[in-house]
Amino acid sequence: MYGNPPVKRIPVFRPQLIARLAAAGIIAASLAACATRPPASNPIALGAYEEANDPLEPFNRAMFNVDAGLDKVLIRPIIKGYRVIVPEKARPHLSNFVDNFRSPITLANDLMQAEFRRAGITLGRFVVNTGMGFFGFFDVGEEIGLAYHSEDFGQTLARWGVPEGPYIYVPLLGPMSFRDGIGFGVDAFLVDPVAWYGRADGSMAWVQWANFGLVYVMAKDNSMDPLDELKKSSLDYYAALRSSYRQIRAKEIRNGAPPPMEDFDE
Amino acid sequence: MITLSRALRAIALSLTALFIVTTPVRAQDVRSNATIFVGNFAQQGINDILAAPIASVEKQQRFRTVFKKYFDLPGIGRFVLARYWRAASPEEQARFTTLFEDVVVYTWSRRFSEYNGQTLQVSGTQTDGPEGTLVKSTIIGNNNSHFGVDWRLRKRPEGFKVLDIVVEGVSMAITYRQDYATVISQTGSFAGLLDRMDSQVADLKRQQGT
Repeated sequence: MYGNPPVKRIPVFRPQLIARLAAAGIIAASLAACATRPPASNPIALGAYEEANDPLEPFNRAMFNVDAGLDKVLIRPIIKGYRVIVPEKARPHLSNFVDNFRSPITLANDLMQAEFRRAGITLGRFVVNTGMGFFGFFDVGEEIGLAYHSEDFGQTLARWGVPEGPYIYVPLLGPMSFRDGIGFGVDAFLVDPVAWYGRADGSMAWVQWANFGLVYVMAKDNSMDPLDELKKSSLDYYAALRSSYRQIRAKEIRNGAPPPMEDFDE
Repeated sequence: MITLSRALRAIALSLTALFIVTTPVRAQDVRSNATIFVGNFAQQGINDILAAPIASVEKQQRFRTVFKKYFDLPGIGRFVLARYWRAASPEEQARFTTLFEDVVVYTWSRRFSEYNGQTLQVSGTQTDGPEGTLVKSTIIGNNNSHFGVDWRLRKRPEGFKVLDIVVEGVSMAITYRQDYATVISQTGSFAGLLDRMDSQVADLKRQQGT
């Protein structure tokens, strides 16, 4: 007689447990995968290490590869589908619409940075674009001299003097400093009025997901081609992206002011 | 990525519009000489290369000539490689300069066909170190899009030369510097970087069938 094979107990799907395990795994991996600081006897390597300022580099590179895989099987097909459905001429308008309903985030951060003139511009744009620009699909503000800018809580933290923290690469979200990661979370869940609306009534939670989805598709649609370009022009795409990311954020934090003099004539 | 998308979009557009039509400028002092220099580069780029009715291979050759004339290649090499440049032999430095020229020529010329009438306005200049001038400009696209391009110029015995282009805050020289420093530390030597650049150029050439 063949006995029944022992019944395998199928574990119940427990998201909290999985999240906890993942968190523990990430922490363990990042501790194990810290880049080794070169010794002081090798000043060239040490200088490069300090300029890169990426102590979690081995871990980040692993996440970067995970992201590249997800990009290929998941994100790219979504963006390609989006580009089939939404004609090229309509895409900037949809992007304007998303920028417009996100402008309360910029306004709140303008105010938290005591940038009252810029807050006025953000408010003016919101009023003009929502009204005359048909809910923001048309950027009327730009045409009357109210230029777009964005602020986020990552920039606010920088202006408050919070240090950048280590560079981290998050699959699906991309490059960020630790400070920008905190800022992203604060904006998405605390500052953004759409998130309040989604939470106020349980049946409205879909609004928050639609919000995330739309913002995400816009961001990926806008960044896919330039990133492909950066990948082709660089030797080490990871390093080139890290450098570009830092420079763009530094400029945003300075509100577009010219960068401090680099030593170009060494 | 979320927060970067606008700036990245601007950079993508600017790569298609490195040559641009400039507004006329009045020659008065060193600073307006610098804006004239940027204007000439743009004018020559659009008339002789982008809008010229010639084959793409010839555009590429013309671009190489213009690039070498307007850009300070050894100066870029010194900045991009910094400490490694000083440690390298003159032969290695020369090989780097040649390869870097190829990398720029082949990556930029791939996108010349995407040019569709963007214009450039010089918005001002400022001093940039004892020998330098920073020319600030805005590139304006068809759909009212605009983004900033700063030209970092240095006064050399033969006149102004471009040392760096900064598009929406992203410096070409700084990005290459960190990219190449990473490759040198991965491969363990300057020769390793040169080999990687060599195969990159070979790939780019193959893709363009030249």
